[in-house]
Amino acid sequence: MLERVRDWLQERRQKLDLFDETLVARQDNPLYLMGPMLYYFWLVTVVTGVILMLWYEPTTTGAYTSIERIQNDIGRLALTFLGRPVTLGGLTRGLHKYGADALITITFLRIYRMYFLAEYKKPGELSWMLAFLGLILGMVSGITGYLLIWNQRAFWAAKVVLTVPVYFDELPLIGPLKFGSMIAFLFLGGPAVGQATITRFYALHFGISLVLLILVEVFFQRTRRKRINMSLFPLALFMVMLVVISIILPAESGRRADPTKTPLPILSDWYFLALYQYVKYTPPLWAGLGPGLLIGFGLIVPFLDRSKGRRPLERPFFTVVGALAVIYFLAFTALILFNIAVIERDPFLIMNITLVVLALGLFWELQYRRRRRQAAAAGISPPARAPAHG
Amino acid sequence: MSTPSPELMQRRKFLKLVTTLPALAAAAALVSPLLRFLKPNVEKFKIYAPTVQDAARGEVIAVATLKEVANPWDYKYFVFTQKYPQYTPEGFKAANVPGVVIKLPYKIALFDPATGQGPLRWVRDIGKTPKVTESDLIIFSRICPHLGCIYNFVPNFKEVTAGYGGYLPPPPRQHALMACPCHLSIYDPADPQVPGRVLSGPAPRPPRTFLYEIQGENIIATDVEPGGIA
Ligand code: HEM
Ligand code: FES
Repeated sequence: MLERVRDWLQERRQKLDLFDETLVARQDNPLYLMGPMLYYFWLVTVVTGVILMLWYEPTTTGAYTSIERIQNDIGRLALTFLGRPVTLGGLTRGLHKYGADALITITFLRIYRMYFLAEYKKPGELSWMLAFLGLILGMVSGITGYLLIWNQRAFWAAKVVLTVPVYFDELPLIGPLKFGSMIAFLFLGGPAVGQATITRFYALHFGISLVLLILVEVFFQRTRRKRINMSLFPLALFMVMLVVISIILPAESGRRADPTKTPLPILSDWYFLALYQYVKYTPPLWAGLGPGLLIGFGLIVPFLDRSKGRRPLERPFFTVVGALAVIYFLAFTALILFNIAVIERDPFLIMNITLVVLALGLFWELQYRRRRRQAAAAGISPPARAPAHG
Repeated sequence: MSTPSPELMQRRKFLKLVTTLPALAAAAALVSPLLRFLKPNVEKFKIYAPTVQDAARGEVIAVATLKEVANPWDYKYFVFTQKYPQYTPEGFKAANVPGVVIKLPYKIALFDPATGQGPLRWVRDIGKTPKVTESDLIIFSRICPHLGCIYNFVPNFKEVTAGYGGYLPPPPRQHALMACPCHLSIYDPADPQVPGRVLSGPAPRPPRTFLYEIQGENIIATDVEPGGIA
């Protein structure tokens, strides 16, 4: 048993791609530049993050003020934009924030690429799982970093997210052990969002990148692969884009956190918005279980999808599931931005739509397989392209 | 490496097992200190229900005078201070629990001493008995029982419909309501059976309540129902 696991890992490790380094041959396709870009934006956030640490103060009383100081006073340049002074501190914050946004965006897009092109199939299982874990850790970095500003949005985002695990105490069997509350309390450093929470979030925010960076470096040292497989021009271009956007749209600070007043509506970083809308629709236990199941599904997709082909139309069911995920992500984000949620009506509708679409997807898959079997039996080679609509 | 004989393989497997067991035991033994490092108020070797020590202690305060909430639907916000253990070297830390005192248009039962039911049924668990068992005054904690945001008392239900996701209460409930900005849970403070009943939204239960006494002209909050994250 153990030997088999080891062999399996051995085989996948040789083909392991953290940042699409082995896909150099496809460099003319921007889809495969996402790997190196991911690594590049990560380095940008890490470097700017460390610079921010020089001025950032991780306390409930000082955090917001220190952010304002970084934004408006540190390293003033002899330059103004729309009447605002441009500061080195503000630029660093902008690079960190937009670098992080770019990082998350590309991680998402890359996951979708890997999904729709079935790159998670043998021998890509491990690469896929690591990419997926990377997305989760990236999002954790995002939410822990967000709290550091100590503004209203961040405060309530942190409180809501960390109240979710408390409901795990309602689960049968493992509920009474109170592990749900314990998870919440370990992150909060107590039963409320406070100083201990900032300290812990600060440590996590920094620690996640630190540990991963070391592991990735070990990997690169061992495999002797090239770190950023990209020419200098796009790299410089991205940097210029980050700088320009940091000047035009300086990173927001919002209003200082006020534990006795919740703003209406509450929003968060853009990549959490869909999740927020989902939380409005479900009982609170499912607010935690739903994303948990989604993560679980994502991690084991390579073992669930036993279809033969790699092209999207050669495995209709999984393509439908993926398309549904993309559409829900976009739709929920739009709904929360317009503050629309009719809680009596929507969940019922959404459930039904989901079930119908999944059933149709399954039907399509069965149809497709039958047609292929028939074609094989008739001795005709399968059509080069599956029909677009089943 | 040449393939060893089957006999040798057997022996190797056995040896592996023998060495794995203590390694596993050692790992398990590390869990308890690790937990106590992250959460210093856990007792030694206690990894079951490790949050029992976290009860917060409230500070008794006068939250309003009777005059301030004399007429139906008068309300007053206040902030109740609670000390809870925080896992920092300083130990205890204060947290604020915002609350709202509401004057209802009719009296409702807060606690039934015979059955132990009512919004104040939790009071027995902290070893007290409610003095006020029926009243038109009720005090809610404004921490949303859903995911911990601070909900608002909204005097006009039309504002609830306009600003909190479009919920329109049925005619008997078209009066002041309570509504949460985060996920749009809506509560009826004046429901005679279940004060704070959830009318809409994902909240699993009515908001938590305060235990209070009337001393002369003052309404004194003494305790808040435990649970949730402050
Ligand atoms: C070792 C690496 C890192 C360090 C030292 C670091 C440090 C910091 C510091 C000091 C802040 C507070 C300053 C501010 O908000 O402007 C911050 C904010 C933030 N960090 Fe990081 N960070 C690191 C990596 C990352 C990564 C990998 C992400 C990826 C998602 C990230 C996302 C954020 C976000 C979203 C904010 C809030 C910024 C804002 O909205 O203004 N950080 N980080
Ligand atoms: S926190 Fe109030 S509805 Fe979710």
